[in-house]
Amino acid sequence: MLKAIYRLAWKDVIADFRHRSTFSSMLFFAIAVLLVFQAAFEPDPQEAQRLVPGLLWSTVLFTTILGLGRVFQAEEENGALEGLLLAPLPRGAIFFGKWLGNLVLSLLVMTMLVPLTLVLFNVTIWGHVPMLLLLLFLGTMGLTALGVLLAAMTQTARSRETLLALLLLPLVAPLLIAGVQSMNSVIASGSLTGPWLNLLLIFDVVYLALAPWGFGWLMEE
Amino acid sequence: MTPLQILDMAHRFGRRIVLRRVTLRVEPGECAVLYGANGSGKSTLLSLLATRLRIQQGSCLLGDVNLQTHGDLARRYIVLIGHHSHLYGHLSPMENLLFFRDMHQVAADMDALADAIGAVGLEPFAHQPVRWFSAGMKKRLSLARLLIARPRLLLLDEPYSALDQDGVSWLNGVIHRFQHQGGLVVMASHDPEKVQPLRHTPWHLHGGLLQSVTESHRC
Repeated sequence: MLKAIYRLAWKDVIADFRHRSTFSSMLFFAIAVLLVFQAAFEPDPQEAQRLVPGLLWSTVLFTTILGLGRVFQAEEENGALEGLLLAPLPRGAIFFGKWLGNLVLSLLVMTMLVPLTLVLFNVTIWGHVPMLLLLLFLGTMGLTALGVLLAAMTQTARSRETLLALLLLPLVAPLLIAGVQSMNSVIASGSLTGPWLNLLLIFDVVYLALAPWGFGWLMEE
Repeated sequence: MTPLQILDMAHRFGRRIVLRRVTLRVEPGECAVLYGANGSGKSTLLSLLATRLRIQQGSCLLGDVNLQTHGDLARRYIVLIGHHSHLYGHLSPMENLLFFRDMHQVAADMDALADAIGAVGLEPFAHQPVRWFSAGMKKRLSLARLLIARPRLLLLDEPYSALDQDGVSWLNGVIHRFQHQGGLVVMASHDPEKVQPLRHTPWHLHGGLLQSVTESHRC
């Protein structure tokens, strides 16, 4: 089953690199958002340090929504979703394959986003970069888990990207708050502990446990 | 060698009844061919057998595997070649077969995949994206899956569409060999002439009822 999950994720990542579609759109969008924020606020280094968590997480949210809107695009062609559902796999495995592909692309964007933000806003917290990346990784896991489920729900809707954002934003708000607060505490104290981090982990566990089940239920006809 | 047994299967989409008390037994090596007008329920029956649709009423056994309760297990033994090719346009034939192999947990090495591509005449295009293939080439590639999957039950929905004369003969050869090995085939078709060379049992679906062709002629 793990091989099938890997192959499904591989298929999505390969598709994206061949067409330079989702990854490049997400990256350019993230750069544009950061440039706009920088031009609008022009913060001094101390203020910038305070703003970085919020800026990073809002950019992550926007770029992730952009990627999620295209998660099932390849499956629309030639009835490929039906092909997936005919495989002798639990529906949850199909969910994890789609989730993993989306997570890889999102994480690639994140790894570029963090140094870019620090350079653009002239924030010298380079020692905290691994911890910031780890927090973004944890947050993106839950965000994309819920996002892939909602993308599956909205894939047949005419204005699916709007609908996806409308459904996703209220549901991930607690996760984003936990992400911003734990990043604040990392920047302030340099330690990766505290109640907000626990909350972030709890959301990851809940979303990753419920989303595959929800996906299976959605795909039953 | 396991038979397929469908007992009193019924299906409806909303208020529209598509299948009524369908009962069918297909023995190993047998090819059941479903004829019927458009919308008569042939594709629905195949989707139920492929476990793509949930069985609403009745039961279906493939050997001792209940399709209603053990869908994941049953799908190991079933291949459906339907209207859609289920291919990914950005992948090459080789990559599409690799994807199919891993998703269906089939034991086939790269040589077996290359042989399957060669057998359907797509060797020169083995590494080109499928997106630019003609409908016939896509059909051939989707049929190449049969050669690596070795299912117990083969479900074919209009398998001859988009195939040229050579493709039809090749497909009949594959089905014939599959039958000879004890495989079960259920096919929906509108082409009695193309099915003719095969040893098969014709059935007619009308008004949601399945009747043998002799019975339906009598009606």
